[in-house]
Amino acid sequence: MNDARKIRILVAKVGLDGHDKGANLVALALRDAGMEVVYTGLRRTAQHAISAAIQEDVDAIGISILSGAHMKVAEKVVALMKKEKIDDKLLVMGGVIPEEDIPKLKDAGVAGVFTQASTYEEMIEFIREGVRQRRERETRA
Amino acid sequence: MSSEKKQKASVSEARRKWEEGTLAKGVQRLGLSESPIEYYTPEDVAEHDFLENVGFPGEFPFTAGRHAIPVHIPMWGRGKQLGGGKTIRHAFGYSGYGTAEDMREFYIQRGKTPSRGGGPNIAFDLPTQTGYDSDDAMAEGEVGRVGVAVDTLRDFEIIYEPFVGDMELDRIASNWTINATANIIIAMYAALAEKRGIPLDKLRGTPQNDILKEFVARGTQIFPVKHSMRMTRDTITYCTEHMPNLNTISISGYHMREAGATRVQAIAFTFANGIAYFDAAIEAGLEIDQFVGKTTFLNFGGGMELLKEAAARRAARRVWAKIMRDRFHSKNPKNWIYKELGGGLCGYWPMTIQRPLNNLVRAAVGAAFAALIGEPPACEPPYDEPLGLGHSIEARQLAADASRILMEECKLSDVQDVFAGSHYIESLTNQYEQEMFDVLREIDEMGGALKAVESGWMKDQVIKSAWEHQTRLRTGEDVQVGVNKYTEEDEIEIRIPRTSPYKAERREDAEGRQIENLKRLKAERDDSKVQACLQKIENAARDDKANLIPFFIEAVKEYTTAGEICGVLRSVFGEVH
Repeated sequence: MNDARKIRILVAKVGLDGHDKGANLVALALRDAGMEVVYTGLRRTAQHAISAAIQEDVDAIGISILSGAHMKVAEKVVALMKKEKIDDKLLVMGGVIPEEDIPKLKDAGVAGVFTQASTYEEMIEFIREGVRQRRERETRA
Repeated sequence: MSSEKKQKASVSEARRKWEEGTLAKGVQRLGLSESPIEYYTPEDVAEHDFLENVGFPGEFPFTAGRHAIPVHIPMWGRGKQLGGGKTIRHAFGYSGYGTAEDMREFYIQRGKTPSRGGGPNIAFDLPTQTGYDSDDAMAEGEVGRVGVAVDTLRDFEIIYEPFVGDMELDRIASNWTINATANIIIAMYAALAEKRGIPLDKLRGTPQNDILKEFVARGTQIFPVKHSMRMTRDTITYCTEHMPNLNTISISGYHMREAGATRVQAIAFTFANGIAYFDAAIEAGLEIDQFVGKTTFLNFGGGMELLKEAAARRAARRVWAKIMRDRFHSKNPKNWIYKELGGGLCGYWPMTIQRPLNNLVRAAVGAAFAALIGEPPACEPPYDEPLGLGHSIEARQLAADASRILMEECKLSDVQDVFAGSHYIESLTNQYEQEMFDVLREIDEMGGALKAVESGWMKDQVIKSAWEHQTRLRTGEDVQVGVNKYTEEDEIEIRIPRTSPYKAERREDAEGRQIENLKRLKAERDDSKVQACLQKIENAARDDKANLIPFFIEAVKEYTTAGEICGVLRSVFGEVH
């Protein structure tokens, strides 16, 4: 029953990187796919993004970063999600992220990492599936 | 009937016959419903007047070239000989990482290479660009990452240590990719020169300092539009008086195009922004010809449809010349061109992470087309652009060689504007000129670029265009080889070695080292002097008529940090992002 509920996702720019073409386009693509998208705007702290995620009661958080600061941002976001007890939510990242960093990000707690090589379809499918599994777990619990 | 009219009448008749005969047969033979290609004739440039529309390179309307001899021709090789036989080494090789010490080492090593490089072309890290010190919580994880960290004048003193002797500050030009905090960086350079005894009027360099496009596409704005524009006004008025050889701004279309603007939008928005800056300087009491010679343009970006890119650049030259002559009433024809070094026409966004060596082909063809319209055949970007920050030594070598091959083996720069007189290109050039003026009129009607930026209109237009392009890629209407077509299993991915010119381990511990340096410096400096300087900046900031740059120079000499200065300005101006 829960699956019929629209997926709500926060698209966030965390850190000082001002490149937001990717974030804007991904936000449009997710909205096009029927999701409710909340976009934070530029230059947010990890704390701001997490507060927004709680306030907006989203199912998933997507962080866009192209400045190479992705490891530090991921660590901060994951730590805050645990602290605020929302680490059950789906966390994904996208941007210019070197291949060798993807396993490290996943170890740090990021469920999915997308690069320029990713298609919108892959992202949409990943988010839908991730949210579906989490909602199922929630229902069982 | 004049002979010209007779010719047109006969072309029209001949075209009709061709369409009904030869072309129709071709279409039929191939089983097509219509012809997939176009053919242009004098009919498509009916009103074409060579002298009026094209003319000669270096003369109005500059369609065939902004200079009689393109500037890259005498600069090819290393450095430029000025009239007195003195060599000015131009800024070269956009780079920056880690701490000031890391950059000093980078330039020392570069100085030992046969090319010896040129002046520094500095990339700053994001905390420096957005006005946060390296020890600010906002900077955590970002120090020294996309460029070098510059907190205080001490960092500039260290970066510039290798630039002495025949590379002294009066013998080099620098380039600083910095916008919201450009005036602080200019102040640091002025303070550095004063300490070395170099007169300010001998300094050459180019700050990017184009804040409007930051709001639209690049995202390092700090202060609201109005206050940001005041800072630009300060640059132009201060430098016109005290640093007349320093360029004041590099008005950029590249970032807007990269963010998704169409080719016409990118050029028209750039010009609209330029108009706004010039209006601000004129409002401050300057005459157009007093300051415009030291305003430069970065470029307008590009794309893979290179015939269209070539036509758009030709149109841009003409549009800008008309703006300068007819709108600003500039009396000096030298000021009717946009000053830009030029470069490849393909832009950076068409580069793909898939099968990345294909990017070398893309950039080289873009460079070839640049040469065909009299621009330098710069093979930009190096092929590994999408693979992460920092081009490899191998990619840079391939790009440099591609340019050399185009210029010295293919001799593509031996003729200027080979497209002059092409029915197709001239027709397209006319069309783009019209479209650019249409966009400019629309912006004028909403109150100019300031309003178009402040209201978010310009940014919305860019996002809309980006989305339309993405949609064309998703549907396959636009092709990217190896991305949305030709991706079968038997297609192979070719990779070659990539060696970073930067020392990776230094980048990893740069943040810690920089924070240590800053801590030490803060302990050494005279805090009461710093506080006094900050108070003066605050007072001056509240007076809209005051020029802040002299106060910045005074402050940076006391090793006041860029973050401290921006903190004061944030408290007076407010902050946007």
